[in-house]
Amino acid sequence: MRMDRTQRVWALGSLGILTASAVVYVAYAWNAPAGPRGGSAVGLTFGIVGFAFMIFAALLGARKRVPTWRLGRAQAWMRGHLWLGLLTLPLILFHGGFHFGGTLTRVLMWLLIATVGSGLFGAALQNHVPRMMTSDVPLETIYDEIGNVRKALREEADGAMEALCGSMGLRQKGEQESQRAGGFTALRPIAATAVPLRTSAAVSAGASAAVAAAPEILLLNAEESAPLKRFYLSEMRVFLEDPKRRGQRLGNSEKAKNAFAGLRTLMPAAALTTVNDLEEVCDEARQLLRQEQLHQWLHGWLLVHIPLSLALIMLGAVHAVMALKY
Amino acid sequence: LKGCSGESGGYPPHSKMTMSALVELTIDGKAVQVPAGTTVYDAARLNGIAIPTLCHLQNQTPVGVCRLCVVDTGARVLSASCVRPVEPAMKVSTNSEKVLAARKTLLELLMADHPSPCARQQHSGDCELETLAKAAGVGAPRFARRTVSRGLDETSLAIAVDHDACILCDRCIRGCDEIKNNFVLGRMGKGYSAGIAFDLNSPMGDSTCISCGECMVSCPTGALTNKSVAGTAIAMGSGAKPLTSKELHRLPVFAGVSGTFLELNRGAIVKRHFRAGEVICREGEFGSTAVYLLEGKARVAISTPIAHVKTQGGAQGFFKRLTSVLVGREEHKREEEARDRTIPIDASVDLSYGNPVAELGPGDLFGEMTCMSFYPRSATVRAETDVVAYEMLRNVLDIMMKNKTFRAQIDHNYRKRALETHLRGVPMFADLAPDFIEHLKEGVELLCYAPGQVIAQQGEAADCFYLVRIGFVKISEAYPGGELVLGYLSRGDYFGEIGLLGGGVRTATCTALDHVEVVKISGDDFREMVERFPNVRAGLEAVAAERHAANAQRLQMVQNVPIEQFLSQGLMEAQSLLILDLENCTRCDACVNACADAHDGVTRLVREGLRFENYLVATSCRQCRDPLCMVGCPVGSIRRRNSLEVIIEDWCIGCGLCARNCPYGNINLHPFDVMVQDLERGGRKQAVVQQKATSCDLCTHLKEPSCVYACPHDAAHRVDPRKFFVGLMGQGPAQ
Repeated sequence: MRMDRTQRVWALGSLGILTASAVVYVAYAWNAPAGPRGGSAVGLTFGIVGFAFMIFAALLGARKRVPTWRLGRAQAWMRGHLWLGLLTLPLILFHGGFHFGGTLTRVLMWLLIATVGSGLFGAALQNHVPRMMTSDVPLETIYDEIGNVRKALREEADGAMEALCGSMGLRQKGEQESQRAGGFTALRPIAATAVPLRTSAAVSAGASAAVAAAPEILLLNAEESAPLKRFYLSEMRVFLEDPKRRGQRLGNSEKAKNAFAGLRTLMPAAALTTVNDLEEVCDEARQLLRQEQLHQWLHGWLLVHIPLSLALIMLGAVHAVMALKY
Repeated sequence: LKGCSGESGGYPPHSKMTMSALVELTIDGKAVQVPAGTTVYDAARLNGIAIPTLCHLQNQTPVGVCRLCVVDTGARVLSASCVRPVEPAMKVSTNSEKVLAARKTLLELLMADHPSPCARQQHSGDCELETLAKAAGVGAPRFARRTVSRGLDETSLAIAVDHDACILCDRCIRGCDEIKNNFVLGRMGKGYSAGIAFDLNSPMGDSTCISCGECMVSCPTGALTNKSVAGTAIAMGSGAKPLTSKELHRLPVFAGVSGTFLELNRGAIVKRHFRAGEVICREGEFGSTAVYLLEGKARVAISTPIAHVKTQGGAQGFFKRLTSVLVGREEHKREEEARDRTIPIDASVDLSYGNPVAELGPGDLFGEMTCMSFYPRSATVRAETDVVAYEMLRNVLDIMMKNKTFRAQIDHNYRKRALETHLRGVPMFADLAPDFIEHLKEGVELLCYAPGQVIAQQGEAADCFYLVRIGFVKISEAYPGGELVLGYLSRGDYFGEIGLLGGGVRTATCTALDHVEVVKISGDDFREMVERFPNVRAGLEAVAAERHAANAQRLQMVQNVPIEQFLSQGLMEAQSLLILDLENCTRCDACVNACADAHDGVTRLVREGLRFENYLVATSCRQCRDPLCMVGCPVGSIRRRNSLEVIIEDWCIGCGLCARNCPYGNINLHPFDVMVQDLERGGRKQAVVQQKATSCDLCTHLKEPSCVYACPHDAAHRVDPRKFFVGLMGQGPAQ
């Protein structure tokens, strides 16, 4: 969630609660003969409110499980999670009088600090990473589809190469057909019996599809195609198959640009369209790699935050029961 | 060699013979006597000496273009034996070294311009050119191969044309013109780009070719091949009997069709016997055949519940889950729903909304659209009595439909049985008097249009009214920013009334999208109709006024908004778009999960789509300017409302073609468990999973769409695209 002016109401509300709590705490700590304690009425109140905020923050996960229940907009829940969750830390510190206490409470305090810290880290990531993703990955696709898109890119590149250089044994028969257009990748298989999509332009023009659209077939001879084949088989296809492997020229946009510029000087003019297409395929593959990395940053922190939160809630409940009972 | 073996022995030689005058000559050292006027080629053939040739057939006029039949007559140059008449005391050598060398060079040249193996060689190994080349020991040609293809023409339903494999022997042209007198084929182009052409170089399927097959059986190479070569044969099965070419020839519809061609199409038509109660075809299935009933009666029906998907719940309580249910129009009527009182199907009858059942009898043809355009079956057909029927693929149907007698019979059935229901299916024609309907039945014209053919052009004079009988018609209007497709009309729809009622000028262009057949009502009949029936006039005028208003509104919008930007991104005229602010969106998919949760686990949006600056227009129906989803619906149940949104009518049979056709994946199939009549065990019901197509309904019964409500990051918004994008472009507020 972006930290912008829309957060102002929650920010001011939270600041108000924090200020009021701080005033109460200072007054209470000043007047308490034995110093501030969690077991006192004021301390207990801070503890209960803090724990309630923790519970509310934790309920966001449950709220997401029932997205259509009309329990308030998810956006309000998220803002509550952020700001009330953040307030938990000062309130619990007021509750404990800035003392970490015994073993359980010490563990609890560290858990709280780690949870809030990981939450702040996550909020910062969610503030910045979407913008990076938007600017760095214009051809973004659905994360789970990245593998399929890579496969489609590889097939597209194989097809372009074989159309220009003749059969290289790259295309495997029987694979599902897939179509790709710009950033949008429709990966639904096309059934053999399905009616083919007609473009309105072709239909409007009354195109004599078969005769008029006879494509120009250009095949390079072995000598002409040798540099491209070498580049494709030794670098580009390796990159398309495993873009995560370190040290690849095509994994870096500047180096890739230079590699393709060099390749263009070796190829006849008629092959340049295909080289441009291959460069675009590489660019998209690189963007998908970047998307994967950013996605992992964007959601990876939850692997720390959620277990910490659960542990905090459970141990907090244990602490509450023990403190009230004993 | 076919050309040399005289397989068409029934034909007289074309060289003029005078039986009384005999000429003596020597061929390869053998003294022979033949009538004067005989060609050297025929003289050799009659005496058992084979001369290879490619351009010559015994039943055709010799033209001597391939030059492969050259012989040495002792003259300065070699002569083409097929056109060289014999002379007294002529000494002919057919296989001297010089002759063989010349032939080999010719074969090398021809092979250099021939895709080897061609389609015929691949299929049957009898491409005459390749056989001759092999026999002459021609290997890899010494000459450069062609680099630019002359193209394939797959537009004919029966014959595939590979221009690259054509050797310009002209056998097909002579077959078409001399043998069958069809005069469709000819030559086009010069030099390296020369080739055969149909009519004035039309694609074969759009030409006046009647698919007699003569050109194909004349062709020596794989340039003209039967499409059954590609494996188009109907699967047999119980009750099926393949028809031989002799049996086919006995049927009047195949009179005049080449025997070889029918032989090649042997597997493309079968005779089937169905016992009473047996299902002939099921709705929603993909198929490629049409069925012509010879004997017996069949019942055609839609077994899918006539209902649409409605999402309900959620609004009444905090914890109430949303569910999707199937409801008919009696329980829940949507805006602009169900303008049709009949359901168009792929047969010579229509079904009524209330009781979607009809009967077919001998002489009825069904599955024409499935066969011609591979659309799914529109209804389930079950044999009422024992049924005998012909099941055929489209190459055979195409031949049959070109037979005037058969065509007249099908048209007669249509006029008799379906024209009235079609006309009455249009609400404003419901009150036409029976006598006027009878008058129309005889007076209307039934016309066919090929894919891409313009039926009516925007701006031209309006002189008739059309009712769509088969296929899809694209209605489009030209705007300064490009062409806008208003919709696709299918069986039962009509067009042309605005021009007739208004200024006499067509306001939109109507183009056949696939194989289209229309009913044309003349301007005079139309005028008589609107004069005699004031209700019809009032109804048509109301519709015309509505369409005029919609046109004016669109035109105004086009002038106010930089429409090319919308058009280029497919964002045109949506009532509401789901946009995601990518700078806020954490790609958590809460919107997608919420949508799925709201619709029984079937999401109607995918977090992917077109980008407009930092906004992503997520995949939920965006009311495209060219709504491809509407193309092919076998029962015409998907259409635009006047607001341009898509509505799926109650009689959707769940075949899924619209979902496949939607380029954005915005249409989904929603499964429901329903009880339907068991067609094989009459009177009983069975539980089946029935699918219905759905698209985003904006969760209309809720205050806010679920996707927006569930977004925790303030990234998902439903916006009016006109206001939103105008705002984004600095012409006002963004929302």
